[in-house]
Amino acid sequence: MKKSILASFVIAAAISAPAIAHTLWVVPSHFVLSKTGSWVSADVSAANMTFVADKGIPVDNVSLYTPEGKKQAIEHKYQGKRKSQVDAQLNAEGTYKLELGGPVRFGTMYKVGDERKRIMADKKTRAKELPANATDVVTSQSRSRSVAFITVNKPTSEVLALKNEGLEFKSSVHPADIVAGEPVTFTFLVNGKAQAGVELEVSYEGERYRDEAGRVQHKTDATGQFTYTPVEAGVFLIEASYSAKAESELADQIREGLTLTLEAALP
Amino acid sequence: MYKYLVAALLLCCGSAMAQQELEIQVELPKIDTGTYHRPYVAVWIENEQQQPVRLIEAWLEKPDWIKDLRRFWRKLGRSEPQLVDAKTGATKGPGSYKVRWDGKDEQGKAVAAGTYVLFVEAAREQGGRNLAKQAFTWDGSSVQIEIKASKELGKIQLTSAQGN
Repeated sequence: MKKSILASFVIAAAISAPAIAHTLWVVPSHFVLSKTGSWVSADVSAANMTFVADKGIPVDNVSLYTPEGKKQAIEHKYQGKRKSQVDAQLNAEGTYKLELGGPVRFGTMYKVGDERKRIMADKKTRAKELPANATDVVTSQSRSRSVAFITVNKPTSEVLALKNEGLEFKSSVHPADIVAGEPVTFTFLVNGKAQAGVELEVSYEGERYRDEAGRVQHKTDATGQFTYTPVEAGVFLIEASYSAKAESELADQIREGLTLTLEAALP
Repeated sequence: MYKYLVAALLLCCGSAMAQQELEIQVELPKIDTGTYHRPYVAVWIENEQQQPVRLIEAWLEKPDWIKDLRRFWRKLGRSEPQLVDAKTGATKGPGSYKVRWDGKDEQGKAVAAGTYVLFVEAAREQGGRNLAKQAFTWDGSSVQIEIKASKELGKIQLTSAQGN
């Protein structure tokens, strides 16, 4: 099981970004704004350290959703070597969502002798591409999303609404109400159902300046929940991932990733 | 018998409380810096459940920076723009300022006896932010509390006084 998670992780990372096994995150310049028409700039990078930019990635898959849940065109986009950036003006009141994520992708891992190989094929299409001597054939369906929320004036919940599709979350308080020292309960759901055993890693900014990154690993409990109390105000990341055997015509396993960039405000 | 006693108590203390007000004296310190901007300041009361009961005063200027009064923005600013507009005055420089709470909630009703918390938050452009927080008992008995100074806020005094 462990091995298959690892294998699917490598596939997912390899096909969703040029960087292998890096975390893709979106970190906005502001999470809370008190004036409509404010601009927000967000950094997008694939990196090992939390919020230490490493590799700029294509920004075509970054979307901005207005408080009404509609897509808003992003005015400026730039792909840099270490990080990419998007700029947008937020003219409405309420909570916006920035999301980096592509469509579901399929990849098939196999071996020829001792050599590991990979093709971009699902279970239906793999047959004609696989060599006759392929062994250990596993097809994964993967999808990963990185999101951040920006709230102008009063928080709204439209962009938090569940679509009952893939790995999603809900929280006991609105993201704009996360405060240092106050517990937040997150519920992680897969296809709309609370999911036990979702793997979580929490990390926070400043890793470059600490000997120990201080990351914490958790799993959601039987009710799909995980309670976290940010100790200090600041920006933190929750990387959630879930993989399971799939009973589908297209894949042997699914892997879902959801990376949340959140701000814990001063009390 | 007990019922009457409670009623009598409520009557006595209710009326006493209705007359009592809380005077809040806020000092804004003189801060030596090349670029001094007047701080944004908000003074409000919350109940023990951390819900705002009454906004007393806010000294604000441009909307962009109001979010830097982090707690004020979260508790009141972002969701009660009309109330904030009504209570907003110009920003103030160093000095000592007195404001009053009449013991009433936003609906103009005298609050029930209990514990309340005074918040004074200050944030200065190119400066720091401080939040002063002080619980007090509001049941008709006298209040006399001093909150120690921080960098952005001088000492704050809470004194009960008779209303007009």
